[in-house]
Amino acid sequence: MKSRIEQVMKRFADKCDYLEVHFEETEESRIGFNGPRLSDLGRRMDFGGNVRALHKGGWGFASFNSVDRLEEFAQYAVDQARTVGKETSRLAEVEPVVVDVPADLKSDPRNVSLEKKVEILRAYNERALDFGDGITSTVVTYFDRFRRFWFGNSEGSLIYQERGDIGGRVSPVATHDGDTQSYNVGFGGSDDFSVVKGLEAEIDEACEVALGKLDAPKIKGGEYTVILDPRLAGVFVHEAFGHLSEGDNVYEDENLQKVMKLGRRFGGSFLNVYDTGLDKGLRGHLVYDDEGVATEKTYLIREGELVGRLHSRETAGKMGEKPTGNARCFDYRFAPIPRMRNTCIAAGEATFDEMIAGIDYGVYCISASGGQTNGEMFTFTAANARMIRDGKPAEQVRDVTLTGNVFTTLENIDLLANDLATHDGGGGCGKAGQFPLPVTHGSPHVRIRNVVIGGE
Amino acid sequence: MKRIIDRALSRGAARAEVFYLNSLQTEVSYEAGRLKELANTEETGVALRLVKDGKLGFATTTKLTDLDRLVDDALETASCGDDMEFEFAVAGDLPDTRFFDKAVAELSVDEMMKHSEAGIAHLLDYEKKINAGSGTTREMQTIRLSNSDGVDAEFERTQYRFYVLGRLVEGTNMLDASAYFGGTALDVDFDRLYETAVDKFRRARTNADLATGPTTVILTPRAVADIMLTLNFGVSGAYIEQGISPLVGKLGERIFDERITIRDDGLRPGGYRSAPFDDEGVPMQTTTLVESGVLKSYLTDLRTARKLNHADTGNGLKAKRLIGTKELGKAPAPEITNWVMEGGEKSHEELLSKVGSGVLVDSIMGLLMSNLIAGEFCGNLAYGLKIENGKTTGRVKDAMISGNIYKLLKRNIVALSEDVELTGLLGGIGTHWYPYVVLRDVTIATKS
Repeated sequence: MKSRIEQVMKRFADKCDYLEVHFEETEESRIGFNGPRLSDLGRRMDFGGNVRALHKGGWGFASFNSVDRLEEFAQYAVDQARTVGKETSRLAEVEPVVVDVPADLKSDPRNVSLEKKVEILRAYNERALDFGDGITSTVVTYFDRFRRFWFGNSEGSLIYQERGDIGGRVSPVATHDGDTQSYNVGFGGSDDFSVVKGLEAEIDEACEVALGKLDAPKIKGGEYTVILDPRLAGVFVHEAFGHLSEGDNVYEDENLQKVMKLGRRFGGSFLNVYDTGLDKGLRGHLVYDDEGVATEKTYLIREGELVGRLHSRETAGKMGEKPTGNARCFDYRFAPIPRMRNTCIAAGEATFDEMIAGIDYGVYCISASGGQTNGEMFTFTAANARMIRDGKPAEQVRDVTLTGNVFTTLENIDLLANDLATHDGGGGCGKAGQFPLPVTHGSPHVRIRNVVIGGE
Repeated sequence: MKRIIDRALSRGAARAEVFYLNSLQTEVSYEAGRLKELANTEETGVALRLVKDGKLGFATTTKLTDLDRLVDDALETASCGDDMEFEFAVAGDLPDTRFFDKAVAELSVDEMMKHSEAGIAHLLDYEKKINAGSGTTREMQTIRLSNSDGVDAEFERTQYRFYVLGRLVEGTNMLDASAYFGGTALDVDFDRLYETAVDKFRRARTNADLATGPTTVILTPRAVADIMLTLNFGVSGAYIEQGISPLVGKLGERIFDERITIRDDGLRPGGYRSAPFDDEGVPMQTTTLVESGVLKSYLTDLRTARKLNHADTGNGLKAKRLIGTKELGKAPAPEITNWVMEGGEKSHEELLSKVGSGVLVDSIMGLLMSNLIAGEFCGNLAYGLKIENGKTTGRVKDAMISGNIYKLLKRNIVALSEDVELTGLLGGIGTHWYPYVVLRDVTIATKS
C-alpha cells in the first residue's frame, strides 16, 4: 500500500497545497443475543481508502472501495480542492513521521475461535435470563475489530498503524405489566480480549438494578443537588465540555471565540479537565491521529480556567494554536475532524462520605445511558439513581435525565472526590454522522448544585 | 453474484442469498458562510447469508478481490450460528414503482452550490452575525438481491438531502436553527426552506422564563418525529418477539386517541427509504400501523413474520441504527421506512392562536437515552418557544420535557393540524410526514 501512496504523491502532490492518502482494512467479528436467540453473528471485512487534497483553503475529498481506481479518485480530490479553494491554506506545522506502529495486544481476540466467543457470551446471556422472575429478556452485544491503517501525505509522512478495538454490553431486561426496564454492563478496550471475561458479578447486580427499577418511582422533575458517580461524571464531562472544546466548533465563529477565549473561568480552582490519547489499553488510546499527528495529553481546564482545545491541523492552524492529535475519522469514508480520545475530570481531594454528608435532599446518579450536547446545553442520563435524604442514600428512583448549561453547570461543581476511574463501554461517540467512534471517559465522584432533572 | 452463490453451494451450503450495494455519493458543504469541501464517495460491497446444516451464516465484504474469504467467513459463522427459522424470499411480482429521479441524478455541483449560497445569503440577510452553513448530499444507489431460490432483482434509487443551518452566539446564548429536505426526488421548495430557518431565528432571539409544571404543548412535525422514535421501536417485530414492547398482544386494540392514523409507507413517492423490495427481496408496501387509534400491524422481516405468524410487511432493512443510512455490515432487521400520520382539520397557525399559554416544541435533545421501548421520552428543549395569548414570545432554555406516548397520545390530544409536513428523523436523515400535534398537560421542568 505504501508504494501506491508514494505513486499518488509523485503524480499529484505538486498540484495542490497539501495531499494525503489513507487506506484502511478492518476485520470484524460480531455476536448479539436478543433474549435466548443468537440474533446476530457476523463477520465483516472492510477495505477502502480516501484521498484528501487542500488547495487555497478548500478541501477536495474522495473515498472509495475500488482501490484499483486510486488515481482517478486522486485526480477528483485535487480538482475539487482547486474548485473550492479561494483563500489561503493554513495547517498547523508538524514534523513528518515515517514509522510503523504494530498493534501490541495483550490478548488478541483473533486467536480466540468464534465458537469460544459465542460460548462466553451465551453463558452471560443465560446467566441473566436465569436470574429469576422478572428478567424476561436481554440485549447482549459483542464485537472485536482489528484495523490496519496506511497514511501518507505530501509532507513526507508515511505511517502504518494497527489498532485493536473490543467492546460490547450485557443488558438484562425486566418487564412487568407493559413496563420495560433495563440496566447495562458495558465492557471495552483496545488491546486485551480479557475485558470480556469475569463479568458475572456485574451481570447479577445489573439484574437486581433492572428489577428494582420496575418498582421504583419516577423522579419528580425540578432542580436538585446531585452526586454523579465516576461513570456518569465521565459522560458529563464529555458532553458538558469536551464537545465545545473541539476546535471545529470554534475556529470559524468569531462570536464563539470571544466566549471561549483561553483564560476564561469555567469552574472552581480545584477543577482540572484533560483529554489524552496516551493511555494504552483504553478505547480512546491513539498513537498517531488520522492526520499523522502524534497524540498527547491535552489540558482543557486547569485550575478552573480554559487552557486548551482539541485540534485538527486546520483548526489549530487557523487559531494559531498547537495541534493536539485529535483529528479522527470513523472510517475511511469520512474526513478526519476534531474528536475526543479519553476525556477526564482529574481527581479532587474529598471522599464520597464527605460529599454525601452535606446533602439533605438530592440525588445520587449512578452509571450512564448516554448523553448529548448542542454546544451550550447538554443532557446526560443516569442508568440508575437513588434519592439522598439527610446525608444518606435512600430509595431507588428511575428515569433520571439531567440537563446543564456549559456556562453555569461547571461553576456549580462544588466538590470532587479522590477516586478517579476511567470506563470503557461498548458504545461510542457520534458527531457529524460519524458514529460510533471509540472514546473513553473518566472522572471521580462529582457533586453539583442546582441541576435540572426532567420528570413529571 | 451467481458465482458467490455457486461457490457457497459447492462448499456445502444448502441455500444462499447475496445482497449487492453500489453507491456513488456527491457532497457539497459550506461552513462559516463559504464553500468548505467537495466530496465524492464510492462504495461497493456484498453481503452473503447462507444456510448450512440448518444454521444461518452471515458475512460481508467490501474487498471484492477476495470473495473466497467472504464465503469462508459466512461458513464459519454458520458453524456456530442460529437455527434457520425462515425461508429466503421467493421470486414474485414486485411493485412497479421507480425511485430514480433524473433531476437528482443530473443535478450539477454548480447547482448544489447555488442552492447553498442562496440559503446562506438568506440567513445573513436577516442577521449578519449568524455563522451559516449549508450542504447537499446526492446519492445514486444500485441494489441487487439474488438467492438460490430464484430471486434475482435489482433497482436503482436516487437519494437527496439538503440542509441550511446557522448558529448565532450572543453573549453566552447559543442559538441553533436549521431547515432540512430529504427524499428520492428533487421536489423541494428552496425559498420556503430558507424562510423556515430564518423564522426560527426570528422567534427565538429573546429568552422567556417558564415555571416547572404541566403545560399545553404544540409539537412541530419535527418534534413529533422525535417522540415517535418510541413507537418506531414499539411496533418493531423484533421487540414484539422479544416480549419487551408494550404493544405485545395489543393488535386490534385501541392504543391511541381515535384521531391518530399512522402508516409505514415503503412505496411513498419521494420517500427516502421507498423501494420496490426490501433488503431480503420482499416487496415493499404501505402498512397501516394505527387506524383511528387502533393498532393494526407490526413491522416485520422474513424471520419475525414467520415467528409471529404475521404478514411480512417488507421491512427487513439493513440500516445503521439511529442514523438511518444503509449499512452493509448489518443483517436485515425490522426497520421503519417512511411514516405518515394523518392530519386534523385546522391549520397549525389557527391551532397556535387558540392556545392561550403553553410551549411550542421543535427539537428535543438527548431523547435517545430515554427508555424509548417503554414509550418514555425525556430531553432538553433544544428549540422551544413560550406561547402567550396565542403567540410565541421567546425561547425557553435549560428546560426538560418528558412524557410517555402511550399515555399522551391516548388521553392528552387537543388537536392535530390539517397541514402535514415532511421532516427527517432527529432533524436528519429520512422522510416522515407528520402534522403539528397539540397536547395538554405535558410536564416541563425548568430552573424556576
